[in-house]
Amino acid sequence: MLKLEQVYTDIGELHIIHNVSLNIQKGEFVTLLGSNGAGKTTLFRTIAGVLKPAFGTVEFNGIAIDKLPVHKIVDLGIVLCPQGRQLFPELSVKKNLVMGAFSLRGQKSKIKKNLDRVYEHFPILKERSNQLAGTFSGGEQQMLAIGRALMSEPSMLLLDEPSMGLAPLIVKQIADVISNINHEMDTTIFLSEQNANMALNITERGYVLESGKCVLEGLCKDLKNDENVKRAYIGA
Amino acid sequence: MELFLQQLFNGIMFGSTYAIVALGLTLVMGILHIPNFAHGHLYMLGGYITYFFITNLGFGYWYSLLLSMVILGFVGVVMERIVFRPLTGQPPINAFIAAIGALIFLESLALVIWGPQGMRIPNPHPQIIKMFGITMEAQRLLVVGGAAVLIVLLHLFLKKTTTGTTIEAVAQNREGAMLTGINVNRVSSMTFFISSATAAVAASFLSPIFILSPAMGAVLGMKAFIIVILGGMGSVPGAILGGYFLGLIEALGGGYISAEYKDVFAFGALILVLSIKPTGLFGKQEG
Repeated sequence: MLKLEQVYTDIGELHIIHNVSLNIQKGEFVTLLGSNGAGKTTLFRTIAGVLKPAFGTVEFNGIAIDKLPVHKIVDLGIVLCPQGRQLFPELSVKKNLVMGAFSLRGQKSKIKKNLDRVYEHFPILKERSNQLAGTFSGGEQQMLAIGRALMSEPSMLLLDEPSMGLAPLIVKQIADVISNINHEMDTTIFLSEQNANMALNITERGYVLESGKCVLEGLCKDLKNDENVKRAYIGA
Repeated sequence: MELFLQQLFNGIMFGSTYAIVALGLTLVMGILHIPNFAHGHLYMLGGYITYFFITNLGFGYWYSLLLSMVILGFVGVVMERIVFRPLTGQPPINAFIAAIGALIFLESLALVIWGPQGMRIPNPHPQIIKMFGITMEAQRLLVVGGAAVLIVLLHLFLKKTTTGTTIEAVAQNREGAMLTGINVNRVSSMTFFISSATAAVAASFLSPIFILSPAMGAVLGMKAFIIVILGGMGSVPGAILGGYFLGLIEALGGGYISAEYKDVFAFGALILVLSIKPTGLFGKQEG
């Protein structure tokens, strides 16, 4: 479904991503592990089209997307739920969600259905649908960001460190919802995390990124037992 | 009392025009994150386009106003495309300089085509109306009513439609807007269209009352800029209230103290507001 081949991405003069190749099948739940500064966010921004690779190709369902503008990539079904959430702080929760369904504009019943489904996953968003997004706590903002990303019914969801800065209880809640989305809605999910414990427990397969290079890949049960992964990301 | 009411009415009339011009400026500022210094010059061009249709082609007032709106809207779209869009992602000073270049171009263009002498559009509504003991031309009343209608329509568009909400979304978080599938470039074009078209309306309203000249853009642009700072950068209610506020201060100060000092009151109010509330009347705290 998603295929990266020898992708290199630069930001200004800095070479951030070096020769990353990966392949994700439809319906899979895959994690991208890496410490701070490993290049996870840059890689995700490259897939979503915010950054353009200096070299290499990104293909989605056989279509080259590495030169497309971001909104065209969203129309094809890849949605990035970005680090830092990038919400609209002065808009209400509901308007944030409706903006998330921008690619479905005009299809009122579909938008309504998706809105109800997001409210089902995150009841707090329904309770506070008229509150301004900027007044939310970190955990609530993260829920809203995931909800907004789901509004366009993406076939592939990129989640960039959704656990960052959140209390363990909220992380658990968000992890449950993400698993649900993958299982029940058949949404392919690519999840980047520093929190390897959480990520390896809910996903099936993983890639490990170090200094912009993909150094390891495998099934989660194998990665969990890998000495390097244990030392660097689990702390056991 | 009569003087007061007369000045109050004049203030509201000036304020109406200021409010719609400042509203256009503040919308574009939300998208560009820099003031479009050429906004006043777009206003000036809008006045001349209406003048052209009425005087040279003999079209009716309202038809000319509508054409002027559409044409100036597209001038705004072209300006965004060739002056500002190529500078996205570069330091803001580049866009500042480009805006100044654009305003010099527009003013020179008007000078070449229409010359430096003032011109006037024949007043389409010269009837005199007496109300509450004051006399006014119907055209002046039209400015007040027309501006109010335009403001309400724009407000409904921004708050109640999905397309309008995309303007707010892009202003609040450009990358977040991109990631929801909004075509940010198209929203920029649309914002410039709306901003320029409303400037054309303001100019067409006022040009039967005042004289058109290539230099009038600079004065109005400066005032719109004061209003936007006064009301809080990028704030829509700030621009509207700031517009009426400035119009009233100028008219009352001019009527009671001295018309010569009109601009002193405007800038004085700006200094006063900024010293008490540096983010402007409706401005949000930075950060």
